[in-house]
Amino acid sequence: MNQKRYNQLRVAVTLFVGMIVALAVINNSYLLSFVAVITGMIFMALVRSRVQIKTDERESVVQEKAARLTYAIFAPTLGIGAFLMLVPSGSGLSVFSKGEFLYLESLGMVFAYLTLFLITIYAISYYFLNRKYGGGGSEE
Amino acid sequence: MEVVAVKNSLKVYRAMHDLTQEQLADKIGVSRQTVIAIESNKYLPSLGLAFKIAQLFEVRVEDIFTEAVEKNEN
Repeated sequence: MNQKRYNQLRVAVTLFVGMIVALAVINNSYLLSFVAVITGMIFMALVRSRVQIKTDERESVVQEKAARLTYAIFAPTLGIGAFLMLVPSGSGLSVFSKGEFLYLESLGMVFAYLTLFLITIYAISYYFLNRKYGGGGSEE
Repeated sequence: MEVVAVKNSLKVYRAMHDLTQEQLADKIGVSRQTVIAIESNKYLPSLGLAFKIAQLFEVRVEDIFTEAVEKNEN
């Protein structure tokens, strides 16, 4: 099996699992959706072990840039979103603090924790990758 | 301000060795899209890949990849 066939199979399996999950959710059968996802993951892991996946350096560069761009957009958006939802509700001046928009305060808390989680993961991975690629070492 | 860009003559060497982009990609272990991107100077390969290409064509890296100084007005 070559890379092209593997990619086709991956799309087919993803669509199939998605379809099963959608049907299972409609029928309130969460166990079926869970089983479908696990089966799909195991199947793809078995297929992947039989395929020589070519690691392409241009693709890695594209993935790195895409990840950096995603972080650069997502983290500030989440942070500003949390700020806008929490600060007015905390001061009691906002419509968020009462009435039908009360849930926005909880959403703001979730956003705030997600922002912290995202920044923490970035900082930890940056620290270890920086060390791995020679940063922070002592001079010899 | 001067900006050092890197140009390459990969297309020429590939034609000299009568290789298709697909064949070259298989020989150096990358995808065909990467070969296309290198040939059109949209992607600068890593040092390892540059050496691999040079070894394949039995030339030096600088025979394929040459620096081209461009003047940036900014």
